[in-house]
Amino acid sequence: MNTDVHKLLRLKRYEMPSPDYFERFIDEFHRRQRAELISRPTLSILFERVVNAFPDFHVPRLAYAAVGVAAVMLSAVILSQQQDTGVPAASFALNSPAMTQLPAVLGDMRLPVSARPDLPPHYVLETRPVSYASPYSF
Amino acid sequence: MAETAPEPEINDEDLVAQTQAGDPRAFDQLVRKYSSRLYGLVYNMTSNHEDTNDLLQDIFAKAYRSIKGFKGKSSFYTWLHTIATNMTINFLKKRSRSYQMSLDDIDNGVQHDPEFIELTSSPDATREVNLKELQQRLNEAMMKLSNEHRAVVTMFDIQGMPHAEIGKILGISEGTVRSRLFYAHRQLQNYLQEFLAA
Repeated sequence: MNTDVHKLLRLKRYEMPSPDYFERFIDEFHRRQRAELISRPTLSILFERVVNAFPDFHVPRLAYAAVGVAAVMLSAVILSQQQDTGVPAASFALNSPAMTQLPAVLGDMRLPVSARPDLPPHYVLETRPVSYASPYSF
Repeated sequence: MAETAPEPEINDEDLVAQTQAGDPRAFDQLVRKYSSRLYGLVYNMTSNHEDTNDLLQDIFAKAYRSIKGFKGKSSFYTWLHTIATNMTINFLKKRSRSYQMSLDDIDNGVQHDPEFIELTSSPDATREVNLKELQQRLNEAMMKLSNEHRAVVTMFDIQGMPHAEIGKILGISEGTVRSRLFYAHRQLQNYLQEFLAA
């Protein structure tokens, strides 16, 4: 041990606040305790008390990962069960009475208009937005 | 007027038990007993009076909130010092580098301290020691150490704790305490060269 350094550092014991500081300190401590009780949310106090009541209980580091993996696996199982019943979740809406009562013509709407033999020939405009602005080139 | 008798000294275990049973006055006695000592620990790690005051309040508040969980596996003294050291190191990690030192006055008793007299009257001392300047330089030198090294130096050199106790508080072996002290002393020797004997 370096004795000279040790002796120099020992002098730092003499750096102290004024003697009445510690009496005021305890009054300040009580004041802050009361203020904290008023300002802290009840849930926060409750949570801290629960944590302090079980000081030896610690959540293992991998517990969160394990819970995450379990949640993913559970979701996968539920989805696969729905597929097994042959009724995908998205098909419920299409099979509802409101959709089945639509006119039959709606079923042909996927065909291009020009490909339907039952309709008279007509022109199809390109799906380009029409603008009345003057063109930039003359 | 009748003189009031001094309060009998109650040991920590009883005061802790009374606090755990819901008597806040018992905790007040613990605060009175340890505030000066903990002040020294925190102040010598932060070199700032205002930070020390706020931290010390937070440390005792934390200890009060957690005391129900204190099972007596270590002494109350060790448990309280562990809270204080951890909170101070966490605080220092967040504190900006541009902080200002705010130093307490030096007690006049230092003038009569044999170590101070020896240091200042030594013919080997390279220069006359100005007390304020020495205080400034000591604090600057301490703040150049890492938080972990400063904690060990504060507890051993300034507060006079044994290696084993420091190890328990910091959760490290006695060997690690000794090696940190060795390294810190070497660094401090370089910073304080002009105040040390040739």
